[in-house]
This record gives sequence, structure tokens and C-alpha cells, in this order.
Amino acid sequence: MKEKTYQYEENPSYVSRREFITISGIVIAILAIPSIWVRSAVVKRNSYIRARIKGLYRDDTESKVRVSHGNGGVAKLYSDFAGHPLSEVSEELFHTQSYINRTRI
Amino acid sequence: MSKNQSWILKHPWSVRSFHYLLVLSFIPLAITGLVLYFKPFDQLEMNLYMRIHVVTGVILTLDAVAYFVIGFNRVIAFVKRSFSFSVNDIKWFSILGGYPQKFLLRKKVSVPPMGKYNSGQKLFGICVLIGGTILIATGWGLWAFPHTLPHGMGAVFGTLHLVFGWILVLFLLIHIFLGIYMFDDFKAMFLHGKIPYEEARGMAPLWVEKEIMKIEM
Repeated sequence: MKEKTYQYEENPSYVSRREFITISGIVIAILAIPSIWVRSAVVKRNSYIRARIKGLYRDDTESKVRVSHGNGGVAKLYSDFAGHPLSEVSEELFHTQSYINRTRI
Repeated sequence: MSKNQSWILKHPWSVRSFHYLLVLSFIPLAITGLVLYFKPFDQLEMNLYMRIHVVTGVILTLDAVAYFVIGFNRVIAFVKRSFSFSVNDIKWFSILGGYPQKFLLRKKVSVPPMGKYNSGQKLFGICVLIGGTILIATGWGLWAFPHTLPHGMGAVFGTLHLVFGWILVLFLLIHIFLGIYMFDDFKAMFLHGKIPYEEARGMAPLWVEKEIMKIEM
């Protein structure tokens, strides 16, 4: 066994058992309380998003027409006026003509 | 090292290894943090500094968590010492530990007896405990979970990160200066962990009196 090169060290019982439990409890509580606060704030924020998603799904379920190609109004527009999707008139009226890069705006 | 001199083990291997990793992570964190604050370089270089900041932040977190778990008893002892106050602390702060008199006036004034940490070190310890925890928590929030943070909390995290970052960087400068000035303690922390008994009795008489015990050889 390697010989120790020092003659003194700290007394391990400097912190009594009672102090150890008390300080540990305070340290863990100080770490836990803000964590709980942040978690509840995140959950609250997510509950808003979840409510929004739930509403969209409910609208979808309750809707009679759930797909754009089943929309009678759109079908009538094509049959009476625009011809068919990607026709010249459709391209002219319904499609974006130019792209503007707005990432720096 | 004189063979007749008695030595106290002040910083065991666990503390020294934690401190090595702390030095290796916190100093780059402080430098890159200052660069990110002042933004002196172009976008590409700033991105590199951000990456270094993140990697060293992860190292610091792992170091802190590992020490918290493995050296929990030493963390508790550190908390007890840092938050133990007496009238001596007021006396110590009233003369700032005698350092200004020593450095500016070349005069030695009597300093109230201190424990393992003097009052200034205790204040630094409290800042490290509270500020370090806040820096780690807010740093992770800002880097890893910005999309999860509720509206407004990102700004609060950013402000806390900035304020405590500045406090610890300014304290770090004093800590490095006085750490090197106390050269025996510097060697103890970076090399062998031991300080001479007589010097400890002069610098930290309450520590030697109340916390130190002779070991059986």
C-alpha cells in the first residue's frame, strides 16, 4: 500500500447526519421547485397547442366535405370556367407567378 | 517539500479532477461567451464560437452532474461552509480581507480568523452554486429546447444567462488572480492536493482547529 504523504486530513464527520439530511433536502428542493415551475409552464403552453389541434380535428370530423377535390364549389368552378386543374386559365389565376425571397425581411 | 514539514490534504483527487474539468470547460465558455456577446467576427466565425460554447457547456454540465452525484457529501460540506456566516465575515468584508492594504499600501493588517474558505471565497462559492446552476439550466433551455419554451420564457432565460454569465466571468478574474497569488493553494489544487500545516494554521485557523484531524499512520 502506498504510504500517505500527508499527516492531516478533514474530519469526515464535519457535517453531522442531521445537517446532511437538512442541507440535502434544501438543495434538492431548490433544484426541484424551479424545474416544476418550468415544466408546468411548458405543459400549460402545450395544452393551448393541443386544444388547437383538437379543434382542427373536430372541425375535420364534423365537416361533410373533407378533401378539396370533393368540394362541389371547386368542381363547379373547373367545369364552368377554368376547365381542369393546371389548365391555362388555372395557371394564370390560381398559381403564384413569381417567388420573392422574404428571409431577410 | 521539506521532509519535516507536516501536510494537510486539502483537495483530494475527486475535487482536483472536478476542478481540472471545470477549468477546461469554464474558461473556454467565458471566452466564447464574451465573443458571442460582443460579436466582433463575421457570421462563420461566430458560428464556430457558438459551437465551442455548446460543446464546452455540455462538458461543464457532465462535470457538474457527475460531481453532484459522486461527490454529493463534498457538495453538502461546500454548501454548509459557504452558507455559514458569523460576525467575522462582516469584519473580513470591512477590510476586504486585508488584500487592498497588502497590494496597494504594502501594509499588513490583522484579519479575523477564517475557516476553510474566507468570506470572499464564500461569496464566490455562493455565486458559483447559484449562478452555475442557473447558467447550466438556462443554457440547456436556450440551446436544446428553445421551441418548447413558452412565450417570454426564452427571453427570461436569455437575460438570466447573460447576467449570471457576467457575474461569474468577473468573479473568475479575481479568483484566478488570488488563486495564483496563494501559490501553495494553487499547487495543492493543480498538483498534489496538500498544503503545509503551518500555512493553513495562519490562513485558515478555524478550519485547522475545528475540521482537521491527524491521521493514523
